[in-house]
Amino acid sequence: MATKKRYGFVIDVSRCIDCRACLVACSVENQVGMKYTRIWVRDLGVKGDYPHLERTFVPYNCMHCDNPPCTQVCVSGATYKDADTGLVLVDQEACIGCGYCVDACPYSARYLDRERGVVDKCTGCIQRLQVNQQPACVATCVGRARMFGDLNDPNSEASLALKNADTVQRLDYELPDGTHTGPNVYFINGEVMDPAVLPREPKYTTAETAWRRLLIPAVVAGIGLSFLGQATFFTKQLLEGEKEFEE
Amino acid sequence: MTEFSRRDFLKLSGVTMGAVMLNQFLPPPVAEAARRAGQIAADGDGYLTTMCEMCVWRCGVRAKVSKGRVVKLEGNPDHPHSLGKLCARGQSGIMTTYDPDRVLYPLIRVGQRGEGKFRRASWEEALDLVAGKMQEIKDKYGPEAMVFSSTHNLSQVQFENLLSGYGSPNYGTQRSLCFNSMVTAFLLTYGIEEPARNYDNVKYILLVGRNLTEAISTSETTALMDAVARGAKLVYLDPRFTKTAAKATEWIPIRPGTDSAFLLAMIHVIVTERIGDCDFVQQHVLGCEDLPTAMAEYTPEWAETKTGVPADTIRRIAREFAAAKRFALAHPGWRTSNFINSFQTERAIATLNAIVGNVFEPNGCLIASSPEAGGVPLGKPPQPPYPRTAAQRLDGVPWKYPLVPLKLGVFQEMRDAILTGQPYQARGWFIARQNPVQSLPDRARTLEAMGKLDFIVAIDVILNDTAWFADVVLPEASYLERYDPLAVVGGKIFIRQPVIEPQGEGRSALWIYKQLGQRLGLGDYFQYADEEDYLRQQLAPLGLDLEQLKQKGYVEPPPKADGGETKDYVFNTPTGKIEVYSDTLAKAGFSGWPTWEEPPAPAPGEFYLLTGKVAQHTQFATQNNQYLHKVQDDPRLWMNVDKAKGMGLSDGDLVEVASSVGKVNVRLLATQAIRSDCVYMTPGFGHVSKGLNTAYGVGASSSVLHLTFTDPISGGQALSQTCVTVKKA
Repeated sequence: MATKKRYGFVIDVSRCIDCRACLVACSVENQVGMKYTRIWVRDLGVKGDYPHLERTFVPYNCMHCDNPPCTQVCVSGATYKDADTGLVLVDQEACIGCGYCVDACPYSARYLDRERGVVDKCTGCIQRLQVNQQPACVATCVGRARMFGDLNDPNSEASLALKNADTVQRLDYELPDGTHTGPNVYFINGEVMDPAVLPREPKYTTAETAWRRLLIPAVVAGIGLSFLGQATFFTKQLLEGEKEFEE
Repeated sequence: MTEFSRRDFLKLSGVTMGAVMLNQFLPPPVAEAARRAGQIAADGDGYLTTMCEMCVWRCGVRAKVSKGRVVKLEGNPDHPHSLGKLCARGQSGIMTTYDPDRVLYPLIRVGQRGEGKFRRASWEEALDLVAGKMQEIKDKYGPEAMVFSSTHNLSQVQFENLLSGYGSPNYGTQRSLCFNSMVTAFLLTYGIEEPARNYDNVKYILLVGRNLTEAISTSETTALMDAVARGAKLVYLDPRFTKTAAKATEWIPIRPGTDSAFLLAMIHVIVTERIGDCDFVQQHVLGCEDLPTAMAEYTPEWAETKTGVPADTIRRIAREFAAAKRFALAHPGWRTSNFINSFQTERAIATLNAIVGNVFEPNGCLIASSPEAGGVPLGKPPQPPYPRTAAQRLDGVPWKYPLVPLKLGVFQEMRDAILTGQPYQARGWFIARQNPVQSLPDRARTLEAMGKLDFIVAIDVILNDTAWFADVVLPEASYLERYDPLAVVGGKIFIRQPVIEPQGEGRSALWIYKQLGQRLGLGDYFQYADEEDYLRQQLAPLGLDLEQLKQKGYVEPPPKADGGETKDYVFNTPTGKIEVYSDTLAKAGFSGWPTWEEPPAPAPGEFYLLTGKVAQHTQFATQNNQYLHKVQDDPRLWMNVDKAKGMGLSDGDLVEVASSVGKVNVRLLATQAIRSDCVYMTPGFGHVSKGLNTAYGVGASSSVLHLTFTDPISGGQALSQTCVTVKKA
């Protein structure tokens, strides 16, 4: 999906020191619950034979895909790709917490906040972008590994870093329908990420298929927009019951 | 040019006389000032500038406040230590302030020591009790019976006023557990405590166990990563494959305790092959001419037998280092308290830098010129001279440790003197912002020493392990809630100021020390009406305005009249030269040259127990911070995976680690990232205070295992010299 801006992350893998300042900055900025995180640093482990060892750290978060699979499975329309920024966002007022988007994301970049009953994820710190600040993780990155910017703008820090990179890796993922996710997170100057780690096969459950076939049209067509809030509440109750059953 | 140093650590202010001024303290009117400056909107939201205290690097901070709460911290782009960034600890700072375990009221113990039973008291009652006990000890046993200890902070100068005004010579700091070997070596060799590093043009970086990506000094760590990205070669010596090793061009898994052998052999190669900067250096370095003879025995082949590093590798690295000349940097290190011979390691680092000439060039990578040249003459409230103290210091400085600077001290020795009662029995301990129960080696001995005391008072923001054993706990305001004296960094004056009102009844150290001083009849040492008055008196000689400082977070002092920098290299040593050969050392009965001292080796079946740092915590102070707890690794005992296999141990096994003074149980991390003759434990875990709800019960404490070894030259504790056995628990 072409958007006005195409905000994305460029991660210089050679510069990540796994200090996790980004993780704390994100949690504080976005008031992420103590059990959860919106962003990660993947440690690929100590590789090689002693003493010729290597160890790579890969910071990552939501890929803000051009063709995000999460939006396609969203029951309530809460998950969407923002037409202005290109960021993939969740309208938490509308989210019913069904978690299908969590299962559909091949990058495991979303989580269900069970305390709040909504899905949460990286927003590119859109509240900071609006006041000309970099995302919290990027602003504080001690190793200068995380970069962010409009990839449509050839002069953004992210675009320039991409242009000058020695190596570029994009974890593009082919979806069951043959289309690609088109991620907007680029990994530069580093080892190719272990494909066994990321991305993963998205989970499509039969229940989800049923939702898609039956309930999405029902919700959209059958219920008037003014009743959406009530319907959200109702389905939330329904799903929480279902979750309990599953557990 | 950006320079990295922590010089302000060790400066002591002058002492002057003046009039008494005793007014009431007022709550800090910061919000009003900020509002006036337009930093805070009418709704109370905005940014205030202050300084971090999650470690001692003290980054500049911009604190976002909303509705009377601090909600986010950013690195201050104007501060040379942060340059817009904060590390994980700095980012987590709001949780240190809002920790549910904060001590918000004065506490007086009601149960047995260590039971953790306290009752809430008023400040009036607590201060009267503390001052009364201190006066009682002074009257009965003399002021020397009261020992004082604190880990370095911006209010240290007033802490020193309290103890010196009271008349006690017994002053413990964290320094002998940290950088005594580095500071003492550089004082003796360059005449300064810590040379600054300059990464602007660096081409070759030698880090001797300086794990800069995990022991983070924010802007210096960024500068290192910039240099590596530019193509500088990074050679890293460490028995562990740390995260710095992962970023290094070359990791040298050197045998523990043999760094100095490696460095002495490098010096040998450089001076015998005459590939240093000897012609120029000779004029400024004492001992340069005789260095080839003095280093004759330290061949790379000799060093190979000590370090386990091939002679050819040492020779190659020496040649590469010398070829980089002034763009080479051998980092002085920071927490260098590893082995008794760490002082010699530091002497060798000082020598290595000197002989390639990097300290003499304007753009050289090590800045060894006198820090006073760029100093800013801040004022200070007037005060009378300190009373004379006849008693010997319990830590043996200088009567047992003649070369240890008084301000560094030998903390572990002070603890032992409390225990033995020699040369006299201490009766009380005043502890501020410090956790010696966790930081001193041999925790059992520390607790036993505390049992010898009639009275213990601790000042802290949480019930750390030492406060847990105290008789009175005085609640300090957190660093986001208080003023501290000003700090000069890079020629600018920075302020720590409250960005929120103190919670509960937390108070600044400036206030607490003054209140106690007044009760002890020492009011003349605390001649400031309140915290802001203290700061105004600091600014007065420079004609600078506090309001301006509060608004911007820093002020630049007016340029000095003389201005011109001297090109003469005169060092603050007895000869005015860099003293690779030190007569001072020789006269004290030690080797005048950097020399090899054989470290003890583990017996069969034993391992060296290495210590180190992680990027998510500061020493023993931050484990209760919920944000840091959230992102930390499970603290485990690292052991080489092949070695573990040979011992029938697997990753995740619960193992018992034992030294001759204690044992702990901890989970094993079987990894390739460590030599097979050592194990490693992250320090700071294994808290005993049940007042730390997040940290209690997590991991084990290496201080339980550490033996007390003191370097007779620098007084440094050798924290990696303890040997342990490991078996399945």
